[in-house]
Amino acid sequence: MRREVIYILIVAAITVPLFLPLGLKQRITPEVEKFYQTVEELPAGSSVIVSFDFEASTVAETKPIAYAVLRQLFSKNVSVISLSMLAEGTGLGYDFLTKITQEYNKKYGEDYVFLGFRPQYQATILGLGEDFSRVFPRDYLGNGLSSLQLTQKVKNYADVAMIISIADGDLPQYWVDYAQTRYQKKVLAAVTAVMATTYYPYLSSGQFSGLVGGLKGAAEYELLLGQPGLGSKGMEAQSLGHILIILLIIVGNLTLLAKRNK
Amino acid sequence: MPLRLPLLVVSISALFMLVQFFVKANFLDSAYQEVLDWVQIIYLFTLWVGALNLIKLHAKKTQDKRQAFYSLVTLAGILLMLIFGLSGGKATGSAFNWVFENVQVPLQATMFSLLAFFVASAAYRGFRARSGEAFILLAVASLVMLGRVPIGNLISERIPDLANWILNFPSMAARRGILIGIGLGTVATALRIILGIERTYLGK
Amino acid sequence: MDLLIVQIFLLSFNNSRLNILIALVIAGLLVFYFIREAKKKGALYLRPISGLTAIEEAVGRATEMGKAVLYTTGLGKMERVATIASMNILGNVARKVASYGTPLIIPCYDPVVMAVAQEVVKESFAKEGKSEAYRPENIYFVTQSQFGYAAAVDGVMVREKPAANLFLGTFEAESLILAETGNSIGAIQIAGTDSTIQLSFFIVACDYTLIGEELFAASGYLSGDPKITGSIKAQDWLKIFITLAIILGVIFSTMGLDFWSNLFSLK
Repeated sequence: MRREVIYILIVAAITVPLFLPLGLKQRITPEVEKFYQTVEELPAGSSVIVSFDFEASTVAETKPIAYAVLRQLFSKNVSVISLSMLAEGTGLGYDFLTKITQEYNKKYGEDYVFLGFRPQYQATILGLGEDFSRVFPRDYLGNGLSSLQLTQKVKNYADVAMIISIADGDLPQYWVDYAQTRYQKKVLAAVTAVMATTYYPYLSSGQFSGLVGGLKGAAEYELLLGQPGLGSKGMEAQSLGHILIILLIIVGNLTLLAKRNK
Repeated sequence: MPLRLPLLVVSISALFMLVQFFVKANFLDSAYQEVLDWVQIIYLFTLWVGALNLIKLHAKKTQDKRQAFYSLVTLAGILLMLIFGLSGGKATGSAFNWVFENVQVPLQATMFSLLAFFVASAAYRGFRARSGEAFILLAVASLVMLGRVPIGNLISERIPDLANWILNFPSMAARRGILIGIGLGTVATALRIILGIERTYLGK
Repeated sequence: MDLLIVQIFLLSFNNSRLNILIALVIAGLLVFYFIREAKKKGALYLRPISGLTAIEEAVGRATEMGKAVLYTTGLGKMERVATIASMNILGNVARKVASYGTPLIIPCYDPVVMAVAQEVVKESFAKEGKSEAYRPENIYFVTQSQFGYAAAVDGVMVREKPAANLFLGTFEAESLILAETGNSIGAIQIAGTDSTIQLSFFIVACDYTLIGEELFAASGYLSGDPKITGSIKAQDWLKIFITLAIILGVIFSTMGLDFWSNLFSLK
């Protein structure tokens, strides 16, 4: 079968459900349930670090995940100190944060702060453990951290309950290696599907206190929140895509069998 | 001397970081904070190395008629974003942000979306059951693919359970084994660097 | 004075990290011991790694076809162990291409990696007595954007049509894009990465794949340097110790005894 035929079939499989919804139901997996419950157990008034560790390419997966996580945090009146370890994640993360905070009427400086971007992950993660203002003297908008109500009381890891890394690469591992190993901080990871399987050992050993993986994870999270969104919509297209790939594998093997019999 | 100095710097820095990790002392903590600050500063200078190399390379290519156009686009892009960023800032609504959201993000997302097509063509071409083990691999992969989408649950409730079991146990065990190996490789390489045995980072 | 220093050290030692220190000391002692053994006996035996032996074949094929060899170290920065391992292999590849007169193209994701790669290749060419054949413009920085880099490397593959692609280093989601494009131009492809996820894609789309530690063992395998083969041997023994520790942990935990797993936990 020519590559072009395969590509056309993939386009059809993915786009048709976007116009003709199939109404498929999600099942919640234990790792997403654990993530949700860990966040749910946070008392109102606690603070959390959310790190937008993704690039523009994976926005289709990371946006639904980020929306769902931020919605749960703000609905519980948890304060969020956010940043990004990747230059592209900075603008995107700030946009996502701004959109969700508007839904919950959250005030910048009191309920949430966006620190911005710093390169060199190890130095940043380790530095934040000692003092946020040393790594980020000013936030993304140019405010001194000492002038913001939230960062006046939340100064380092000792003042935050947990760290949530929304990532498309191996940055959650850096958070575990440096923030958790050195400062014993709880780390939760919300990652793209392709990275999720890498982190099952971390979840099993307790190094991650929860794991949301890909669009499916986002769809389950939205179900738990009772707010279906982009994740739930995308799962139907993904379902047909997976079925098509399985069919292609079967066709490929039948072709091989036919050639052998000849 | 040209080789000894960087080796000495690496060994001393590595030993300091090791001691600092295991010993609690105020003066060590302060020194450690300074080191982290300097790492950030040095890294920013290395970005200049890349940017200057890129500009130099493409400036040279503009003299070749075949490659001139794309190199001019690259140089224009660098210059424009620099001007937008410095003059208008990067806040929402600025020209910099507009270009990022309407050019960079769609381009990146497009490249990523190529994976959907490539996975399908790689699966069709590469996933052939040429042996018993390959057949088991295919069957398990198909099960996991079905289990990770709602259709699997529609076919049978056991499919998502089985897929989860595969991800949480055999797949995780194999991954853990490779991770342990990679971790040990990292430790051994780090020890070789500290001892000056490994000198690849110097280009030797 | 020495006693005073030791006393200060003991007083300020972070007890919660004692288990890490012990593990580090054991690892260090093993590395020392096997490096000494390797120096005494000469290089220790390492099993053949098919991906590495295929590199010679790949470079030879490129030379016969009059085409280039494309080498990429992926997305890793210089501090990544996979990138260091890749640089070791690059030195060896560069010597081969220098002796055959084959063009070598290395698009780089990180500027520091680019600088190191230039030094490695320049030194390799000099060792082959082909300093005048060294082309620094073939080793260049592209971008630190993941998919921008993938697009650029794909562009190089489609335009230059290299006969051999070597993907050795840290790769993320762009791995399949690179490997599939390389497959579509008919190049022989050898890959190696420390990412367990991307290994699956490389295994499907490439001709040879270095799995996990084989990438790290490459430097010892190619050079035969006793210091490196010794440390690889130490790694193997460490794996045996870890396996024993896991087996003991399983037995003790099944019996309801937590002391063994507590020894390894971070307090």
